[in-house]
Amino acid sequence: MTDIIIKNGFVIDPFNNIKGELMDIGISNGRIVDPSKVRESEAIVIDAGERLVVAGGIDIHSHIAGPKVNIGRLMRPEDHYLTNVPSKLPFRRAMTGRTVPNVFAIGYKYAMMGYTLVAEPACAPLKMRHAHDELNAIPIIDKMVFVLVDSNWLALDLMAENRKDLLKIYLAWLLYATKGYALKLVDPGSDVAWMMGRPSLDLDDQVPEYNLTPKDIIRLVGEANESLNLPHTIHVHCNRLGFPGNYITTLNTMKLGKDFALRDRNSIHITHVQFTGYGGESWATLESGGEVIASELNANPYVTLDLGQVTFGEATTMTADAPFEFILYHLTRWKWANADIENETASGIVPYRYRKKSYVNTIQWAIGLEVLLLSRDPWRTLITTDHPNAGVFTDYPKIFAWIMSKSYREKTLKEVNQRALRKCILPSINREITLYELIIITRAAPAKLLGLEDTKGHLGVGADADIAIYDINPRAIDPSSEYEKILKAFQRAWCVIKEGKIVVKEREIVQTIYGKTYSVNPYTAISDDIRKEFEAYLKDRFKRYYTVSLENFVIRDYEIRKLTEVRIKPRL
Amino acid sequence: MPLTLKLVTGRTIEQGRSMESGGKFSDIYRRAVAVAEMNPKDIEIIGIKDNVKITSVYGSIVVNVKPNNDIPPGTVFIPMGPWANLLTLPITEGTGMPTLKNIDVYVEATSEDATPLDAILRFFGVNKIHYKPAERPLSVGIKRVVYDVPCPFCGEVCDFLTIELDGEKTSRVLNACPIGHAKFMNYYRHRVLTPMIRQESNGDFMEVDLEYALDKAAEILANAKYPLIYGLSSTCVEVTELAVELAEITRGVVDNTTTLCHGPTVLAVQEVGSVRITLGMAMNLADTIVFWGCNPMNAHINHIRRIILPEGRFVKGRKERKIIVIDIRRTDTAKLADIFIQIEPGKDYELFTVLRMALRDYDIEVPSVAGVPREKIYELIEIMRTAKFGVIFFGMGLTQGGAKYKNLEEVIKLVQELNEWSKWALLPMRGHYNVTGSNHAMLWLTGYPYGVDFSRGFPKMIPGVTTTIDLLVNGDVDAALIIASDPVAHFPQKAVENLMRIPKIVVDPFWSLSASVADVLIPSAVTGVECEGTVYRLDDVPLRLKKFVEPPKGVLCDIDILSKLIDRVKKLKGLA
Repeated sequence: MTDIIIKNGFVIDPFNNIKGELMDIGISNGRIVDPSKVRESEAIVIDAGERLVVAGGIDIHSHIAGPKVNIGRLMRPEDHYLTNVPSKLPFRRAMTGRTVPNVFAIGYKYAMMGYTLVAEPACAPLKMRHAHDELNAIPIIDKMVFVLVDSNWLALDLMAENRKDLLKIYLAWLLYATKGYALKLVDPGSDVAWMMGRPSLDLDDQVPEYNLTPKDIIRLVGEANESLNLPHTIHVHCNRLGFPGNYITTLNTMKLGKDFALRDRNSIHITHVQFTGYGGESWATLESGGEVIASELNANPYVTLDLGQVTFGEATTMTADAPFEFILYHLTRWKWANADIENETASGIVPYRYRKKSYVNTIQWAIGLEVLLLSRDPWRTLITTDHPNAGVFTDYPKIFAWIMSKSYREKTLKEVNQRALRKCILPSINREITLYELIIITRAAPAKLLGLEDTKGHLGVGADADIAIYDINPRAIDPSSEYEKILKAFQRAWCVIKEGKIVVKEREIVQTIYGKTYSVNPYTAISDDIRKEFEAYLKDRFKRYYTVSLENFVIRDYEIRKLTEVRIKPRL
Repeated sequence: MPLTLKLVTGRTIEQGRSMESGGKFSDIYRRAVAVAEMNPKDIEIIGIKDNVKITSVYGSIVVNVKPNNDIPPGTVFIPMGPWANLLTLPITEGTGMPTLKNIDVYVEATSEDATPLDAILRFFGVNKIHYKPAERPLSVGIKRVVYDVPCPFCGEVCDFLTIELDGEKTSRVLNACPIGHAKFMNYYRHRVLTPMIRQESNGDFMEVDLEYALDKAAEILANAKYPLIYGLSSTCVEVTELAVELAEITRGVVDNTTTLCHGPTVLAVQEVGSVRITLGMAMNLADTIVFWGCNPMNAHINHIRRIILPEGRFVKGRKERKIIVIDIRRTDTAKLADIFIQIEPGKDYELFTVLRMALRDYDIEVPSVAGVPREKIYELIEIMRTAKFGVIFFGMGLTQGGAKYKNLEEVIKLVQELNEWSKWALLPMRGHYNVTGSNHAMLWLTGYPYGVDFSRGFPKMIPGVTTTIDLLVNGDVDAALIIASDPVAHFPQKAVENLMRIPKIVVDPFWSLSASVADVLIPSAVTGVECEGTVYRLDDVPLRLKKFVEPPKGVLCDIDILSKLIDRVKKLKGLA
């Protein structure tokens, strides 16, 4: 692999406290090295020409792989009809799709935007092999997948029997067996109810057939997550998602983080908070709960969150919150897909369009931006669109421009539903995020939250050489007035380097390579005796509940194209 | 007195078993599929003594008759195979699915002998048939037992088989159904072990080495303007991924067998969505199970034992489950049902519509619909509405005839509406073990589930245009690569006729009819025995097939064959 040296670029690297200095970056063997160690005569020299040089972007929550996404593709042929980009072999395969793109469009478009690591946030354990098959096929970017645990009968049995230690070992085994990266809770407990044809649950309702509440589930899984010492926190999609007035449930969920925090860091991640930040009592009286959520976030150090920002336009909602999708189907009355997975979870898919003139959609749009702009800590507020639920990931530059430029916000404010704006404080917010803060939000903070700060999210020596060069000069640009430049620059990076290989050159993909898949393994470090006892218990239950055999459930290392296993030692 | 009857084709247990044990050239296969099952009353009216001549718009065959009381009068049933295909209609009505059920045929008594296989192949335009099956050498020696083996036959992919081996010889197969048993016991028989190409001079097969065969195959594909890549359902998803890449390189079409089985189901999902479950949901929770136009007792034999009989978490076995079978004939599955509803062939759409009406409390003004009395319809919808958890399993009965994808749209809507009252889901009973996986792989690579065309460099799917049957019937494609499938045995005759006119590369472990007429024949190893790979069960659950025997010397897995082929085609096209 040829070494690379990037010269003459303005570097922003919040981890290393570099705020736009003109400096060189050296790359050797896929990692960042001291530039003096690269021999310029033998290396590729990239003259960045005073452009912005940053680490590759990280998306912590984007539905890019797995059974849901694929059924979404199946259900929406109309999504592919007019979005085709022919292949340019042997450099690039054919791209198609917008809200549910094919694997190539996902990998290439993320790379073209300068993103190099994306997390698929939910997959049923039984179908994790499918998620990995798709992740294997996504080019360029690094990826990972979170495993759903909140409605898992095996886990709930252990919770109800109050066998906390065995629960921890079970979750450790599940991550190891499915090659997942983190524990995901979606509308905790509600899919148990859905599978039995009952309505979804609030935080203190009883889970059918179990003497548990969703609050218990969050606490117990959170506690397990912390004592297993997992790199990420629990990733929670709150109860009552999508219902007017649900911000109270969200606040109560955020408060739970304190109960199980064991480590010197935050302990609960609330995802796509826009969908759970609704005030009011009905759709007609919907209000923004953004301000309240932001102030709770500012006061509560245990919480991190991401937005699930609405960007207007076509979307395909897909979530393991099956009961909510059934309700949404009644609003849209077009297509609805549902899939229930034995003993584990369920999911639903409904196509949806966010319209600027809609009262509800305007409030939804405002909530995301309010939360971000009122949050005092860019390290704990991340940008996502919950792709493709609230918008597509290719709309990220729009969000960047909205938060960096009051005048771009005002332009959009004129186009949206005016009645809705009276229920929001967004028009009165003057804050504009700086470029430095944006780089924290899109690079450093997600790397830290995923526990990958050693190699990702920064440009220090030893980090993976995932680098994006954008066509803006940070010293010359005024994002507030030149938002057009922000939109353009972040849509197509000028140059992207992935693990020391140039993949995007002058805004075009120049080669197809495949990135790593991250997984965590807290199981192997557990002592043999405990594992043996657990496996005996598991064997019996598994046989009773599942229609597959235990041996065929476990995903082997060689099934994954480039597995990077993060081994950890649990604190049991 | 000759009669005009309705022809229905389908799978039977004997058809599956004889295919896996004897191969398609065997006598037992002929006996199993060259047979017309008819109601004794019809036999008497027509006056059939020994054989029967059946004629459709497209062809005519003579077969044996088997009286069967379960077939309603006015219907004749022939198992799927070359005989039935001489009669079926290649017209897809824009759905990509030919009409394989409810075909008008003229039936008369005859004293002629049953049509032999080579006569049928001659009719298709095959001049010389080559059939040189070999048994793969088996070393015996160390005895061992492999547990939890997934079975590569039907969409059920039972993964609880135990296989006892003596070296490479299978000595015992436990927990498998008769077809799965035959599959594992006979995997070494009827094999293609050496690559062959057809000589231009005399049309005979010549044994060649693998490299030469691959070069020849790559040449055909690289020179073709619009090649067809077909099959893929009886091998692992990794092969589908490679096949898509090959289609993208050659700007051809890639299609799988969905086009001929649940294609209409997939089209319906594109229109209205779906309500699916995995099999364990049915086992643990379902108290009402409907089998509509499918016959798992013959096609997915372990299904009953896995889903209906066992004690689930909230349902205590068969006695707490209500089984309803809706079919045009009293199938073996119907015999174990609590309620059997016999409907007129091709009238499923009407029955779904009327059930949706009954669900909404609309009046049904006619006394019967699709041969089902009004009272029965009200009774059925009441059972459905009050079920705790219901599942509809459906099969080819809905997809291959009648209103095709509109049937499926209607049943999906019925299930979606039933969810207002109770909990309902539906699952197609997929045939090949990895047809679901092949759909999934095509979806993630191209956004479409089957029939994907790359002629303009990007994927597009137009049912009725880019689907295999239409491409062949219209003579659009100019070369074919057939992987692990047997179109000659299962396509309607017009499609096969046109297939005979173009160069064909066949990759198959066994001697199929397609293998015997190939221009380049490349042997492959048996996936699930000699090769590993991921496959998807009919309910989308991915499983890893096991390899427990080394492939025969010089024979590669499908994955390696396709990878080598891609490298060569890339070189020829200047893309390497």
